[in-house]
Amino acid sequence: MHIVIAIPLLLASAALASAQDAPAPQDLETRFTVAVLDDATSYGALREPLPTVLNRVLVEPAFSTRYQQRLTFSTSLVGETQTYSDTATRLHVKELYTGLSAGDFDLTVGRKMLRWGSGYAFTAAGVLDPPRNPTDPGDRLSVNEGRDMVKLDWVHGPHAITAAWSSAELATAGTQLRDTTAIRYNVLVHGFDTSLIAGDDRGGDAFGGITFTRVLGQAWELHGEGVWRQQAAALFGAKCTLRSGLTFVGEFYTPPNTTYFRGTAIAPTASRQHYGYFSASKSRLRELPGWKQWDASGAIVTNFNDHSFTGIADVSRWFGSHVSAYTHLEFPHGASTSDYGSAPYTTAASVGVRFQL
Amino acid sequence: MSSVNTILRSFLLLFTLALVLTCALVCRAATPDAEALLKHSDTYRNGWPSYVVDVKITSYEAGKSDEQHLYQVSQKGTDRTYVEFMTPREKGRHLLMLTDDMWIYLPDTSRPVRITPLERLSGDASNGDVARTNYAVDYAPAFMRTEKVGTTDCVVLELTAKRKGATYQRILYWLRADDARPVRAEFYLTSGKHIKSATFDEYTPMNGRPQLRRMTLYDEIRHNSRSVLEYANAAPRALPDKLFYQGRADRF
Repeated sequence: MHIVIAIPLLLASAALASAQDAPAPQDLETRFTVAVLDDATSYGALREPLPTVLNRVLVEPAFSTRYQQRLTFSTSLVGETQTYSDTATRLHVKELYTGLSAGDFDLTVGRKMLRWGSGYAFTAAGVLDPPRNPTDPGDRLSVNEGRDMVKLDWVHGPHAITAAWSSAELATAGTQLRDTTAIRYNVLVHGFDTSLIAGDDRGGDAFGGITFTRVLGQAWELHGEGVWRQQAAALFGAKCTLRSGLTFVGEFYTPPNTTYFRGTAIAPTASRQHYGYFSASKSRLRELPGWKQWDASGAIVTNFNDHSFTGIADVSRWFGSHVSAYTHLEFPHGASTSDYGSAPYTTAASVGVRFQL
Repeated sequence: MSSVNTILRSFLLLFTLALVLTCALVCRAATPDAEALLKHSDTYRNGWPSYVVDVKITSYEAGKSDEQHLYQVSQKGTDRTYVEFMTPREKGRHLLMLTDDMWIYLPDTSRPVRITPLERLSGDASNGDVARTNYAVDYAPAFMRTEKVGTTDCVVLELTAKRKGATYQRILYWLRADDARPVRAEFYLTSGKHIKSATFDEYTPMNGRPQLRRMTLYDEIRHNSRSVLEYANAAPRALPDKLFYQGRADRF
């Protein structure tokens, strides 16, 4: 307990001491954004007698302020009104934290999103990351929430060590989060952005893992994860960019069928699972007037064990600097007991409009 | 008689040698120091060892304003650049460049995204154009010739990429002979394709130093397209090393 009190005091005194030595940076900086989003999703061939249209209105304000590169306060909220069989309103606290920097140390307290995993659609090593949904890895409605934590970073040159303790007390009901203690060492050496991660879930498993990313040549990026948590989980992925700007991402992920890694549709008796993800995307479809505002992507995520898959297509267009519109389509396919075939619909088509300030 | 001939021959030989040496020295003195010129030219875009500058990029298609982007660029040393995207449609995006390694932080992706050299070239003004302006670090210069651009006497340098990670393979760079101020440039890919040209249009004192105020990038593939880069509020700023750490998730 004394240590917990002593760390902020030490950081505060170091911050004051170094503030007297260094040239003063800009005193106060602030950033503020607001996004308002209306998303309507229409489900095809529902297996249960439910309304076919889900409408969501989201208001997403975010505010950050920083004083002399030392004190930070940041908040990102989402107010969501959902109209389906009835209407419900909910507040998501994506992030709400304060930070203190001193010398090579950063202390952060509050709810925060970490991104330790190197996978795009899947992750085994992102033990404190928001959950990855391979059919929506970009979290298109921006409703993922961070973890409540106390985190201490030490950054020196290319080396960084992070120690974090996260509480599950305030986590959303229904999630299976536990209190987690984790430590990460991250280093950039010879182009390899590499991390070693170890930790423990209170009342659960201890874990350890490694992640890396590396750019090869002009067009390729490779990434991967290896984790031991009761059993081994592994992820390998690559991104390739063509001169035209067309970008392909592919990933292969194999988690063990243990409680921590098991998806909701996977039977406990099933064997180790094998997943694949492949996407092709192009932002600014063509560098021509009228085309620059268009982004398009297509992806497929599949479970190789039960041969189920979901196809995903996204098209969006910007109108000026503040307004965009999009369509998002999902086509799950497979047996009704399979991983992706168990979705209660055969198609989900979303259209939406976003205003961003 | 033969001794007179020997003396005359020796004198002639010595005279010729002296003439050749003098010519060599004069020519050497007349050839500008390309390395020093390039280093000095970089100071017009990188005025301080650690600084912040606002960049506005306006794209024009067939003479009409098409898109506008705002960035705040923080640079420390010659190889660490951090770019914050300030346009509403791009808010929350950040770009980090450490020597040849580049990451983009998108608010809607699950992790920082490593950028390949090819991705640096996307857009009218590429990521490399904004984040990588210390040519003396990335390119080896060679003096080519002197020539006039309009009424300005210029030195023409040929810059060749020192590493594969450089944004362009080759640049032809026109510098004003008086003070090494950049005047124009041509950018080439590894394939030899002339992809862009630039004119350095306006300089202004910022925080007591002459700094580039406006430059124009011309697309040499689609000749109707150009981008105007306007620089403002360049100022020295104490920037912590942590700002340039690739694993930092709490980007401001």
